[in-house]
Amino acid sequence: MSPEVRKVMVVPCSGIGKTYGTVSREAAYEVTEDLRPRSTQLVALSLLVLGDEEARAAVRAHPAVTIDGCKLTCAAKMVQESGGQVAQGIAVLDVYRRNRELKPQGIAELNEGGHLLAHAVAEEITVIVDDLVAREEAPDHA
Amino acid sequence: MPELPQRKVGIVACSGEELAEGTVTRLAALRVLEHLRPGETVTICLPLFLAGGEGDRAFARFYPTIALDGCDKRCAARATELYSGKPAAGVVVTDLVREHGLGQPEGARRLNASGQQAVEVTANRVAGLVDEILGGQWSRHSGSFVEAAPAATPEAAPQAGCACASAIPVQTVDVDGQAVPVAALPLIFEQFRGAGKAPGAEVTKELLATVKIYNDVPAGTDGAYLAALAREFAAYCARKQARP
Repeated sequence: MSPEVRKVMVVPCSGIGKTYGTVSREAAYEVTEDLRPRSTQLVALSLLVLGDEEARAAVRAHPAVTIDGCKLTCAAKMVQESGGQVAQGIAVLDVYRRNRELKPQGIAELNEGGHLLAHAVAEEITVIVDDLVAREEAPDHA
Repeated sequence: MPELPQRKVGIVACSGEELAEGTVTRLAALRVLEHLRPGETVTICLPLFLAGGEGDRAFARFYPTIALDGCDKRCAARATELYSGKPAAGVVVTDLVREHGLGQPEGARRLNASGQQAVEVTANRVAGLVDEILGGQWSRHSGSFVEAAPAATPEAAPQAGCACASAIPVQTVDVDGQAVPVAALPLIFEQFRGAGKAPGAEVTKELLATVKIYNDVPAGTDGAYLAALAREFAAYCARKQARP
């Protein structure tokens, strides 16, 4: 992990029991691999759970966007527990409520609706990431 | 009347998003939960040990648990032991890949062929461990099998089980001066009272037998547990009688 060259940490929830957890994971990959690979870094939640120093340092040093698949908001809570700041928390269910036609199904393998919902989540995160990066690069940024 | 879950095995996968092996753990866990041993397994999201409540943290005390890790950091095994209870068994994907001479899994987002093979091998190993655990009596306290016992009967309608929204109720009781959290005790009391069982020596013995299904009762402490259960069940029934 090289947090010094990444601007925004993306932390998906790791949810394994429901389709929204898979959407969260897929959206995180889309942002960090396809849409904004140079300005984002994926952080594995299991490392934060175990208190891995490198992962904790990453979320402490950079703004984090969390993606949660259910109301228990594990990703947001773990970033806060790790001493990091959640710049923006995304709830997959909220994005789904705004895009009712994208009904996700499947956990091991998402259906088309799930992939499209993940894309919608990723697009929302991209806007947030661009805003955070612009703020970090602004001349008056401390 | 409440239904106590039948004895099942809990599977905790690291799901590490950064590594292909993390994706292998996730997919292997799901294969066991959905296809290989659907009626005999249940899972929980690893972060709930910290982000959830006491009922979530009781998971590995309630279910004998298999920790499924992608790498030798062993986040799932270590976090489960740290926050919930000692896993009954652990599987590390990188070890299995080496043992079976598989190719390197690649593609955390989309696994390559070696990654898919690793999913198969890992899922089969976990299914075998599930059978071993259900075929023996696992002591959560000592972290080993204590004696042979009949295998649990699978449920009639298998389905993948997620414990996220069904935290296990825990009641802390005084056992010989020690505050001991007892998983599922509220459900057990409710079930016994619903069955018309009143406090008494024989019923207390039955209570202890049921408590032992879901909790590790250390050897030599039956007497202390019987006293605690007798007292707590009498108090529970009295409360219910006062406020039905």
